[in-house]
Amino acid sequence: MIIANGKIYRSEEQDRILAAAAHNIDRTLAERSLDAETVIAAIDRLGSEIARGVFDERINELPVDEPMRYKAMAAEMLSREFLEYKLAVELGGSEPENAPENAAFTRIMPLGVIFHIAAGNMDGLPAFSLAEGLLTGNINILKLPRADNGLSVEIIAKLIEYEPRLADFIYVFDTPSSDVHAMKKMAALADGIAVWGGDGAVSAVRALAPVGTRLIEWGHKLSFAYISGYEDKERELTELAAHIAATKQLLCSSCQVIYLDTDDESELEGFCAEFLPILEREIARRKPVSIGGRAHSSLLRYTDMLEDILGEKPLPKHFGGKGCSLTIGADSELELSDMMCNVLVKKLPRRGIVPVLRRGKNYLQTAGLICPESERAELADIFARCGVTRVTSAGAMSDYFAGEGHDGDYPLRRYTRVVNTSFDWRR
Amino acid sequence: MKYRRRLFSAKSPYDTNGTEELFLRAVRENCLFHYTNCPEYRKLLDGLGFGEREIVSDSLPLSEYLARLPFIPTLLFKRRRMFSVPRHRMFVKATSSGTSGRFSEIGFDAGGLLCGLKMVLRLGRQRGLFSLRPCRYIVTGYQPHRGNRTAVTKTAFGATLFTPCISRKYVLKYANGKYSPDFDGTVEAVVRYSKKRAPVRFMGFPAYMYFLMREMERRGVSVRLPKGSKIMLGGGWKQFYAEQADKDAFYRLAEKVLGVSDKDVVEFYGAVEHPIMYTDCPNHRFHIPVYSRVLIRDCDTLEPLPPGETGLVNLITPMICATPILSVMTDDLGVLRDGAECGCGIRSPYLEIIGRVAPDSIKTCAAGASEILSESISALKGADQP
Repeated sequence: MIIANGKIYRSEEQDRILAAAAHNIDRTLAERSLDAETVIAAIDRLGSEIARGVFDERINELPVDEPMRYKAMAAEMLSREFLEYKLAVELGGSEPENAPENAAFTRIMPLGVIFHIAAGNMDGLPAFSLAEGLLTGNINILKLPRADNGLSVEIIAKLIEYEPRLADFIYVFDTPSSDVHAMKKMAALADGIAVWGGDGAVSAVRALAPVGTRLIEWGHKLSFAYISGYEDKERELTELAAHIAATKQLLCSSCQVIYLDTDDESELEGFCAEFLPILEREIARRKPVSIGGRAHSSLLRYTDMLEDILGEKPLPKHFGGKGCSLTIGADSELELSDMMCNVLVKKLPRRGIVPVLRRGKNYLQTAGLICPESERAELADIFARCGVTRVTSAGAMSDYFAGEGHDGDYPLRRYTRVVNTSFDWRR
Repeated sequence: MKYRRRLFSAKSPYDTNGTEELFLRAVRENCLFHYTNCPEYRKLLDGLGFGEREIVSDSLPLSEYLARLPFIPTLLFKRRRMFSVPRHRMFVKATSSGTSGRFSEIGFDAGGLLCGLKMVLRLGRQRGLFSLRPCRYIVTGYQPHRGNRTAVTKTAFGATLFTPCISRKYVLKYANGKYSPDFDGTVEAVVRYSKKRAPVRFMGFPAYMYFLMREMERRGVSVRLPKGSKIMLGGGWKQFYAEQADKDAFYRLAEKVLGVSDKDVVEFYGAVEHPIMYTDCPNHRFHIPVYSRVLIRDCDTLEPLPPGETGLVNLITPMICATPILSVMTDDLGVLRDGAECGCGIRSPYLEIIGRVAPDSIKTCAAGASEILSESISALKGADQP
């Protein structure tokens, strides 16, 4: 389905709507602007409707654990309080005193048109990306991920219903990424392209974007947990296991590797033996993994077993549990695990952190810490200096914190530009 | 290999019931050959407790024998090369496309290829692919080239031999060491061919065919191709994977811009690791031919499942001696259904491909499920050598 100028159209009408879009966008840019208050009021209303249960049916259909927790998070992220705080943190710079005589008059303006290419790995993300674009006053072209279940279109249509003034600022298409011509057209209309996705998607968008278009890349990142002593072992490990089971390691902030601050291989084995039952318990409390995911894990396991029989590749030490596994890595590199609760466990003594993480610098995101409180600051500092952009406690790696940046950036700044108007100051 | 020869000479290509015993004998014969000649295969079978005694045992009916026969995942062929005849005795070596940079290399022996030829003749005749009327071919895939050993390229070329061939045009042209797509030239050719009398046949990747037709639609070009024209598809639907809605849209588009009805759209399914030409029936279903058997295995236990249940697709054929691809496990998820449910008249069960194994079939983050996007963009910008 397509949304354009406040109406819903069938996907077949894409080419016609795209052809008319340039003209419509020019008109909107010439005649109208969108102030933050209008957007906040509409999104806040949407948030309270979500909280009231208007979309429960659709939300319950989502293949996520604890859909109601999801709902609570969405409602919070769409609340007035949250949005106002976000705007203030991300865009509200303080004016320095004693400006020089020739100081420019500066305004923060919308970038213009933002083309959002949303990833399918988190439900609700397309709508949230759109909300960020609206909040900064932009006209938004949103390309939905293939896996969208219709929730995004429904939510966006509702938003326009609450606030018809948003209609000219929202275009939603369900174009498949393979329709390169349509993608190019959308890219050509845009001042900025926000792409959520893996290396492939990001480099494809780089190839697609006209020179000079601002690229806002929310690429795939890797996250890890780092354990250096415990305060309350049972609780801390349970929280980490719950995080892994809940996100199934599919998010950029999901733990792929658990690092232990040690040099001693046998400590890794001891850890796996202890952690595996905890992980199994947390998984058993949740929805089973999809059939494709289970098949993927089984195939990898089986192939590894055959390799083991062939005997040339030393099999990594593997702890298989119900619906999950722990594998002891031979090195300390940060890498993608097999996901779906198949976690890598590696040793990484503190003095080795910097070189290891620097090798993965383009992919670093969250470090989830388990350590005595007295050591938190020091470890957080090391991680931050290596390029990690979030440090949390291990159980909270995928939680959202008000006012936090995204992959080292404030998104709203990326969706805006600075405009100076300066006239005749010499006179 | 006398049982193999007899199996591939079977008169009716979908009489799976009538060929059970023969198939079993051919499997035992093939398995023993690989066990004797391929050290890795022997090691695997021994390691899995399926030694010579089990191989030659005739105490089990076909279904139970195949359930017990060790299978090798295509992933393992991507990780290592395994052969049962010396390289110089291999007639052809072919590779899978290997989207992620890893590909299998499978050797073919002369006897296996001969079987393949008989199979193609038999199955092609059943689907009405052969004709003496000369055709113009448009291959929506790679132009053959010495450096390109992918099986899709070879099969696409092979398909242009179904009829006498007036001309071959390739969408992906090879020049100066790389492949680049020529959509302009292809659209032009389609328009030119539509005014002539000889039928036109397309063969190649569904995704490229779809691009081509979308491109024609975008330019407002629509033609009526001569009677007898066909669209033949193979090499995977990628993002269209078995989603019926997408396939229906494809058929509609073919009718709209080319005037080819869905009855003249023929699809093939196969893999370099299982070189059986699965050909769809007029209802676009893949019935199992006598040369192959399919087990659907449980996604957790890898044990065989009853018909109607979804699981991993395990393909079995005794066609090839050069590489131990007797029983391979694909990355596909599928279901086996009762042949009678189809209604096309073919009685053998049919295989429905549901999707592909993935960390999660619809959502992955860090793994990057976006290959398709970059693929299609590189298709437009100039594809690299596969």
